[in-house]
Amino acid sequence: MATPALKTIGLTKDFESTRALKDLDLEVAPGEVVGCLGPNGAGKTTLIRLVLGLLRPTRGRAEVFGLDSQSDTVAAHRRLAYVAGETSLWPTLNGEETLLLLGRVHGSVDTAYRDVLVERFELDLTKRVRALSKGNRQKLSLVAALMTRADLLVLDEPTSGLDPLMEQAFRACVAESRDRGQSIFLSSHILSEVEVLCDRIGILRAGTLVEMGTLSEMRHLSALTVEATFTGAVPDLAGVPGVSMVVVHGSSVRCQVQGSVEPLLAVLAGAGVSQMLSREPSLEELFLAHYGAADTSTPER
Amino acid sequence: MTAIAPGTATPTTYRSPGTVIARVSARRAVRSGVGWGLVFGLYTATQALTYATSYKTLAARRLLVHQFGSNPGISALVGPAIRIDTVPGFTAWKCLTVLAITGAVWGLLTSTRLTRGEEDAGRWELLLAGATTRRRAAVQAITALYAGLAALFVTTGVITVAVGHSTKVGIGVGAALYFTLAIVAGAAMFLAVGSLSAQLASTRRQAAGYATALLGASYALRMVADSGSGLAWLRWATPLGWIEQMRPLTSPDPWALVPIVALSVVARAIAIYLAGRRDLGASVLADRSSARTRSSLLTGPFGLSVRLARPSLLAWAGSVVAYGLLLGSIAKSGGQIINSSPTLHRVFVRLGVTGAEAYLGFALLIIALSVGFVATGQLTATRGEESAGRLDNLLVRPLSRTRWLAERLALAGLAIAGAGLLAGLATWVGAASVHAGVRFGPLVMAGINIVPPSLVVLGIGAMVFGVRPRLTAPVTYAVVVWSILVEITGGVANVSHWVLDSSVFHQMAPAPSTPPNWTANVVMLGVAAVGALIGLAAFARRDVIGE
Repeated sequence: MATPALKTIGLTKDFESTRALKDLDLEVAPGEVVGCLGPNGAGKTTLIRLVLGLLRPTRGRAEVFGLDSQSDTVAAHRRLAYVAGETSLWPTLNGEETLLLLGRVHGSVDTAYRDVLVERFELDLTKRVRALSKGNRQKLSLVAALMTRADLLVLDEPTSGLDPLMEQAFRACVAESRDRGQSIFLSSHILSEVEVLCDRIGILRAGTLVEMGTLSEMRHLSALTVEATFTGAVPDLAGVPGVSMVVVHGSSVRCQVQGSVEPLLAVLAGAGVSQMLSREPSLEELFLAHYGAADTSTPER
Repeated sequence: MTAIAPGTATPTTYRSPGTVIARVSARRAVRSGVGWGLVFGLYTATQALTYATSYKTLAARRLLVHQFGSNPGISALVGPAIRIDTVPGFTAWKCLTVLAITGAVWGLLTSTRLTRGEEDAGRWELLLAGATTRRRAAVQAITALYAGLAALFVTTGVITVAVGHSTKVGIGVGAALYFTLAIVAGAAMFLAVGSLSAQLASTRRQAAGYATALLGASYALRMVADSGSGLAWLRWATPLGWIEQMRPLTSPDPWALVPIVALSVVARAIAIYLAGRRDLGASVLADRSSARTRSSLLTGPFGLSVRLARPSLLAWAGSVVAYGLLLGSIAKSGGQIINSSPTLHRVFVRLGVTGAEAYLGFALLIIALSVGFVATGQLTATRGEESAGRLDNLLVRPLSRTRWLAERLALAGLAIAGAGLLAGLATWVGAASVHAGVRFGPLVMAGINIVPPSLVVLGIGAMVFGVRPRLTAPVTYAVVVWSILVEITGGVANVSHWVLDSSVFHQMAPAPSTPPNWTANVVMLGVAAVGALIGLAAFARRDVIGE
């Protein structure tokens, strides 16, 4: 099997009194796009900073193409490019100087692609960073990362501050990178972004990966919502195998089905259904199922 | 999170939300004012009490007058020594210029930090989104600074009055308060100047830079006025001269308060006027939002460091050269005074040097003390790159942390060495221009001689940066300020050698009046190198952390 683009083994990080990340095992295969969802404080940024070698793990390790993020940092960084959610660049440099400097520090730049990106993101490179809006600084940072054509892109809430048009441009770039065979690890709390872009999705909660898989796998594992309206009396669905959360409303009923839908269909077929609707849970529902509407805070250790 | 039952939630109302900026700023300004008031008060108390106990006899005091009473060199550096055969006269002489300058630095740093600094950090955006206007925010922040000034005055005043009460010292309440007023006048003026430059400049650093430049010019003018060159009227042209002109504890001249109050009030008024006219985050002095690409330096992290440090390093180079020329050009008169004083002359003849060289040794010590701030400035900037998150941009690319820090330290070391060399050269040019009879070689060596102490500061700072990054600025500034206080105090009072040794400048020989002590210099280089190595090793092994 090919060396994974990104791999963490029992990665753990404590900050003074809180445990930010607990025994995290994660793998991004070459060419794969993996998204990491979680509310603020779930540990997304800590995970990424550990992968980048900016933080020292309390336990465990992270590897980029088999290169340890602590002992082989420089070699690992030749293979990756990173965009932070909050970009802080040198205020006195202009855009062109920033890209030149960052390109030279990285070592190799696809200059033709850089020009394409600058045009696509409508950047004015003569402006000093100080005079740029937050969104424009973010775009500059995105171009600096994408222009390297690095094998692994590590993106930490990369679209914060971008308007919807620019977000579209960003998505196009990520798709392009994926088509070129680059691997991408993307953290976000924008569900639709992750849903559209990612092959696999991990849900991070209080420093632990509570769910990891493709969207269809995750849907398969969770319940299907079924709504039915009856011509006659509403049958009692409570005893049907796999069915839960039955809510009756007049002549219609809504329930959740886990596993096979056959037993439910058998009951419905005999009861005179006039209308039926079934749908898979949205990513939002999956996400909320892991968090609950009110419980989004990080519990203390 | 606890669930709130619908209907029971009431919006929290904060006590007068319109004054939140004033309250937050005032709290910080007062805390800082009380802290520095303690330093000012204790410094004054130490000077007065040490003098009272060290120079008990009339003869001892006469000797002091003889040594320093009419020395234009020393007068140029710390102000004229008037009636230093009395406790009040001596206290005023030792404290006034030193504390006025310290107060001015406090004023300009506090005002630029609490106005422009807060604005740069984006905190005002949050507050202004609430129930206040921009002008009101500026008025609040600037007014709050005066709470800090009041705290500084009260704290210093209480200690000074208490010490004055001691029979050994014998300074009346009125005189003590007038003296406190003179000490705090520097803080008052530069609080206002800082508020104004914060409105003119586009970043906190730039604002502090403008205000510091004014302070530097003010000090240089005062030096010329006090160097016995017949230009004493120049004292009325400089803020630090006005403070001197107040002549506390000797022959008070309250008229000098007029320009002091005028500058404070006018600068403050203009600052508030400008604050209401400009956009948040914008500046009055044109700050072009576009810039031509100048990429020659931006070949890598070292070039970037050079580019970022260039403005402040050029300013330092300019100041060191100006300072060196000035001190060099008054070397002859300074030396003549030493030669004409039999006691002093005898001491220096034994050391085998002429008067001008003896004087220049003292002058270069003063330059050495200021060059210490090149080290602190570079270290603060290094930590600033990390705490602001800009360093992340470099470290997530193929660049080792060790290389980045080593290059940063190398740049700082080169800047310090350059400053030493320039100091030697400029002093020689100044001395040669008045035919002071000082040779080129020894003076350049004397310039290089001032480099090691600042390298020690750099080494200590590098170590702190590696081990406890958040303490980088406070610790390195403390080392330099403490050392300066020790050097200033140690010259006159009898201080334990343990205290003297705690100054990084104490092992530096006062070249060119004595030959440089190369053994001590090598030891200092060793200490600096060890500190830097510990810093490099620790930085490679720690988390990269923000503020």
